Amino acid sequence: MANHSATHPKHVHHHFVDSNQQFESAKLGMWVFLVNEILFFGGLFCAYIIFRAWYPELFTQAALELNTFWGAVNTVVLIGSSLTVAMAIRSAQNNQKRGLEINLLITILLACVFLVIKYFEYEHKLHLGIAPGSFWNPTPEIAAVLDHPKANIFFGIYYMMTGVHGLHVIVGIGLMIWLYIRARKGHFNSEYYTPVEITGLYWHLVDLIWIFLFPLLYLIE
Amino acid sequence: MANVSTSANSAASTPMKLKVKQFQPAQTPTNTYLTDEKGVWAWLTTVDHKKIGLMYLGSVAFFFALAGFLAIALRTELWTPAKTFIEADTYNQLFTLHGAMMVFFVLVPSIPAALGNFILPMQLGAKDVAFPRLNLASFYIYVFGAIFTFLSLANNGFDTGWTFYTPYSSDTNSAGIIWVTLGVFILGFSSILTGTNFITTIHKLRAPGISWDRLPLNVWALYATSIIQVLATPVLAITILLLAMENILDIGIFDPALGGDPVLYQHFFWFYSHPAVYIMIVPGFGIISEVITTFSKKTIFGYWAIALSSLAIAFIGFLVWGHHMFTSGQSAVATTIFSFLTFLVGIPTGIKIFNWVATLYRGSISMKTPMLYVFIFIFLFSIGGFTGIMLGALSVDIHLHDTYYVVAHFHYVMMGGTLIALLAGLHYWWPKMTGKMYNEPLAKIAAGFIFIGFNVTFLPQFIMGAQGMPRRYYNYIDQFTPFHQTSTIGSYILALGFLIILYYLAHSLFKGKKAGPNPWNSRGLEWQSTSPPDFHNFSHTPVVIHGPYDYHQPIEEFQLGLAVEHGHGEKYLAADATGSEAAETTSA
Amino acid sequence: MSEHHEHHIASAKQLWGIGIALLILTVLTVTVAGLGLPSPFDILTAMAIALTKAFLVAAFFMGLYWDTKFNSMLLIGALAFFILMVSITLLDTLYRDDIVPSF
Ligand code: HEM
Ligand SMILES: [Cu+2]
Repeated sequence: MANHSATHPKHVHHHFVDSNQQFESAKLGMWVFLVNEILFFGGLFCAYIIFRAWYPELFTQAALELNTFWGAVNTVVLIGSSLTVAMAIRSAQNNQKRGLEINLLITILLACVFLVIKYFEYEHKLHLGIAPGSFWNPTPEIAAVLDHPKANIFFGIYYMMTGVHGLHVIVGIGLMIWLYIRARKGHFNSEYYTPVEITGLYWHLVDLIWIFLFPLLYLIE
Repeated sequence: MANVSTSANSAASTPMKLKVKQFQPAQTPTNTYLTDEKGVWAWLTTVDHKKIGLMYLGSVAFFFALAGFLAIALRTELWTPAKTFIEADTYNQLFTLHGAMMVFFVLVPSIPAALGNFILPMQLGAKDVAFPRLNLASFYIYVFGAIFTFLSLANNGFDTGWTFYTPYSSDTNSAGIIWVTLGVFILGFSSILTGTNFITTIHKLRAPGISWDRLPLNVWALYATSIIQVLATPVLAITILLLAMENILDIGIFDPALGGDPVLYQHFFWFYSHPAVYIMIVPGFGIISEVITTFSKKTIFGYWAIALSSLAIAFIGFLVWGHHMFTSGQSAVATTIFSFLTFLVGIPTGIKIFNWVATLYRGSISMKTPMLYVFIFIFLFSIGGFTGIMLGALSVDIHLHDTYYVVAHFHYVMMGGTLIALLAGLHYWWPKMTGKMYNEPLAKIAAGFIFIGFNVTFLPQFIMGAQGMPRRYYNYIDQFTPFHQTSTIGSYILALGFLIILYYLAHSLFKGKKAGPNPWNSRGLEWQSTSPPDFHNFSHTPVVIHGPYDYHQPIEEFQLGLAVEHGHGEKYLAADATGSEAAETTSA
Repeated sequence: MSEHHEHHIASAKQLWGIGIALLILTVLTVTVAGLGLPSPFDILTAMAIALTKAFLVAAFFMGLYWDTKFNSMLLIGALAFFILMVSITLLDTLYRDDIVPSF
């Protein structure tokens, strides 16, 4: 270690002593940020739990309008993307530039697939008038099944949760594209891959949130 | 903790020779952070934590002046029971502006982001915070968010008070709520980034020899604060987002007309905002601990008690938010539990007060301005704390809720606590930041004005509050006139005090006497560098061999922090060569 | 953490293994949901499976298993504070006389 750090490589900022200190700091910083993210989503989960405890029958009823199949597909898609991100980090650690690029590309692709599926889900619901808030105007058939006075609130929560999650996916795609460009330029190697690592952490968190959203929203019978 | 021991292991596995040398900062530095890069542009794009700290300080002072000016206008309006010079609607808008600005623009960022930014890395012997660019970003996010929020509040005549309760904020008086919430959201981001940055800095960037039991108490306080910021602020963000959606889309979660629950909004809001009052006061505690040891020339009494009580306050602060909702219709079960938990907060707070007082005992106290503010702090904050406990008592609060009693309570803690602590810190570190001294007699006079003005303003508010004067009212019945008028006069005295401060600090900047590296003979690490400090804070990397409050020996014999030459690598290993080892190297 | 900055590199086999386990758990949770277990058990199993999945992601994809314990503590701490927030709020909402006070 001493040999290495004495040379102070280019990617190490002046206020760090060595590459390792910089890497560990970045990772800790990201974890602290993820704590933020968890409590940010925590507010929504809290609203969900409060209302579910009040109106359990509403949740069972309303969840029938959500398509379990596509929800499950999206779960698989996100899990796949988490896997490829982990593989991307592995590639960077092993100096495999090609592997890094390909894994990042697949991740971006999967994230887009997720969004497209989500888009069709939204589209379908909006079509039936199951829209958030003041646009709430279900078709008569839907209204017949969903005859709960607070049905709008379930979908208010649904749209907020999936919407905020979707925004995170979009941000993630942006970050992955940035990583891909840098990877193309050969910025990353086994000595320096901090951005890949911490973006990976972010992406896994997005996956983690979905792991809970899926059963809570789609799998209520 | 883990990182300390791991690096210590690595140090053990690769034994290093320390190049230590006697550390003596220059009396008159030639090259400082102020002379290093010059020009407005260099300032605006700097990633130096010291300059960023000063820019925060300037912005906070600016918003404080603005919000303070509004306060004077509000007090003036209350001179007579009916209209004095502004309309009722304007009055409502002004107190909303005043409250929101003081909380979100001034008190939350004041100590951590302004003084903390400057001092924290120096107390750790680091060259900068962990993420300097993020630090700058967080400053700009703050400035942008503040201006944005100010304009949207002012433009739309928003008058809900700083708490934005639904459904009034989402439906009845909702013009511009989207912009206000966006602004507060942005401000929250700045706060989160600062907290994240500080936690990482404290964990990863401590200089050689600074173990957890040698952290200055100011650092412990900032650490506790950052934890609260990171845990609580995101909840404000999501609350504010839901509030905006309530307004844009009517999603109904908080709106009773749509089947939602307005009390849930209050839960969310206070889950942030009660911890937020600790975001404001805990860094103040840190400053008090630093100043009180320096000016009584004595080791702090109960180091661990003070350090851990900060963390305890941070934790308990998350359990008591419901004391703001005793009359909101929340369940009796919750109310009772919240009332009980609120009393618990008094314990760690009391521990701190007693330890400070014990530190004074048999110390050699010198009544310099910063110390004067410490005494003012202890006096005013105790009153604020005690009245808080009274408000936490369920039956009492039913009577006092939403009266001037509450107004007086939170001004005693926020202004008498946080702001006075900020003034203590400002006067304490001013010589370090600028390299200049200020006019001491004038500073004491100003402190006198502030102390007297403050009490004249807010003591009467306790009395009229207890007699039933509601808060946020434009008119009042005649019986309250003497109280209101006394209060208004007090606010003018207070304002005068601040003007005096402004005057002598400005004077000091241009004409002040040179301060020298350590005018207070403090043992703190930040004083072992030049005033103003070097661009990298220290000309050498300090290797710390003492605790921060080592007043056993006279200053001449005091072994200052030792230093290895700035190099790369070795010193990090030395980091963990812990004190004793380094000390041996010197004596050898 | 390893002695110096050779970070842990997970093997491809490990990562794929975790990925497949996650997939199986997803299928499992959908299947179990289809069974329609009686009330508290459906949500309990669903959450148990979700927690297992979350554990796998956090421990291996996010590398907490090999990382400093402090980072794990952060994650656990965040969850603890979330639980705190929910449970204290429930103390109010579950024990109210009228659910929405003004109505
Ligand atoms: C010993 C500690 C404290 C206790 C027990 C306490 C207790 C309380 C209680 C029970 C209330 C609610 C009164 C009501 O609305 O009826 C209250 C209000 C308030 N407290 Fe404290 N408090 C303490 C310390 C602090 C500190 C340190 C600060 C800020 C630095 C603070 C700031 C406030 C504010 C801003 C409000 C009013 C919020 C509003 O309604 O606008 N308190 N406090
Ligand atoms: Cu409170």
